[in-house]
Amino acid sequence: MFDPKVVKKDFPILSRKINDKLLVYLDSGATAQKPQQVLDAERAYYTQHNANVHRGAHTLGDEATQVYEEARAKVAQFIGGQTTEIVFVRNTTEAINLVAYSWGLDNLKQGDVIVSTLMEHHANLVPWQQVAKRTGARVEVVGVGDDGLLEMADYKEKLALKPKMVVFGHVSNALGTINPVAEMTKLAHKAGALVLVDGAQAVPHLSVDIGAIGCDFYAFSGHKMLGPMGIGVLWGREALLTTMSPFLTGGGMIDEVYVDHATWAELPEKFEAGTPNVAGAVGLASAIDYLETLGMEMVRNHDQHIVEYALRALSGLPQVRLLGTHNAKLRSGSVSFEYQGVHAHDVATILDSDGVAIRSGHHCTMPLHNHLGVMASIRASFNVYTTTEDVDALVQALHKVKVVFGK
Amino acid sequence: MDLYREDVMDHYEHPRNQGELSGEQVVSDQEKNASCGDSVQFFLDIHDGIIVKAKWRGVGCAIMTASASKLSEYLQGKRMSELKKMSEEALAKEGISFEVNPGRSKCLMLSVKAVKRLVA
Repeated sequence: MFDPKVVKKDFPILSRKINDKLLVYLDSGATAQKPQQVLDAERAYYTQHNANVHRGAHTLGDEATQVYEEARAKVAQFIGGQTTEIVFVRNTTEAINLVAYSWGLDNLKQGDVIVSTLMEHHANLVPWQQVAKRTGARVEVVGVGDDGLLEMADYKEKLALKPKMVVFGHVSNALGTINPVAEMTKLAHKAGALVLVDGAQAVPHLSVDIGAIGCDFYAFSGHKMLGPMGIGVLWGREALLTTMSPFLTGGGMIDEVYVDHATWAELPEKFEAGTPNVAGAVGLASAIDYLETLGMEMVRNHDQHIVEYALRALSGLPQVRLLGTHNAKLRSGSVSFEYQGVHAHDVATILDSDGVAIRSGHHCTMPLHNHLGVMASIRASFNVYTTTEDVDALVQALHKVKVVFGK
Repeated sequence: MDLYREDVMDHYEHPRNQGELSGEQVVSDQEKNASCGDSVQFFLDIHDGIIVKAKWRGVGCAIMTASASKLSEYLQGKRMSELKKMSEEALAKEGISFEVNPGRSKCLMLSVKAVKRLVA
């Protein structure tokens, strides 16, 4: 396995000091830091190849198009899809909105059911609420047990409602739960539904094979997997993307335009209106190279090791109440907890004074936090540069909370 | 650390003027921070344009609690017309008198917003 201490050296920001302490970055679930290789790739694009893609017949235009399409091919190979099925978007949220509006408005009608879950990030719930409001469909939500796992019996009951679309996260951003996505997809298909998986928290840590999952749509963001902000991916089954209406319209996504109508470009351009984020795509390809050099299996092993270590270290603190399953094998990427007697925001501020960056709040999962009866929680989240020493620094800084608050 | 200095922690641990007020001269308003579930409600008992009593109730972090407590002390005896002239920032500076990082300003401003609406 790789040494995260060596990996850390590739990330310039991780040598920054915060409040005179070396930064301990435990907020990778919100966004990951970027290695020098990714920063260099983006810079090289702008300093050497920048031009608009799929347009002018000049050398730079050709080069920009080439690096953009190479990035698409790299993403396709990374998750096991076809290049025509890879749509570049801004982020996971935009990818989900694309499907909700483009597929949803054309295919949902009064009384139809969409199934989501109680542990979804707002990005995989609110767009479906909006589309339901416009079409007369309704959203049913699968419950979460005290163990932080989806209630499978409830899932089956919801599938008995014959939903048209079933959506769920691959890995929960708040609980860290890895959902059994392949099994859930199989059941949803049997019930006649399409399946969209939010992979934002999975792609950075797990080896994702779209074919093995069997879903119809898979969405993720570049910035959580060491890539730049502003680039994300929607993978969709070609047969579905072909029949769907475009989401955004304008330049770049058309075939022919007349004053009163237009026809659409082939996939995937049909879904990429306007000038795309080419530098972002190039940066994302570089991030994939970086992860593949480490090896996704090793990335997962390291993630397991850190999650297990953090669970054990935090459960030793009497004030800490861990959220989600204690079985590290069923988790990835993060550990969330309550510090009893002290508000999460106060904990965050005290940790920050020691240079420890964590997330406090509801992590864009308000329905889940309401269900858990927790106003706001604390989340420590990890990536390939996270060391056990970082977790130790968190535990050390938590002792300071006790000093300040006497609890 | 500076933010959780002695007087702030004292107001957090022993909040002043907690409770409710009722009566014809009492106005009240609530402010919530959905991002963390914090909420605060202020009650002002006003006679001849002067706040004769200010109370509040709420749940939240140390910063929210201490700022509501400090502001409630500041408000006693204040003239409504003068509070009306103050900006939110001025009211925070005068009435709460401790500063927070931008990431925590919502916690501090929750009480200020509730009070500002009452004196508007």
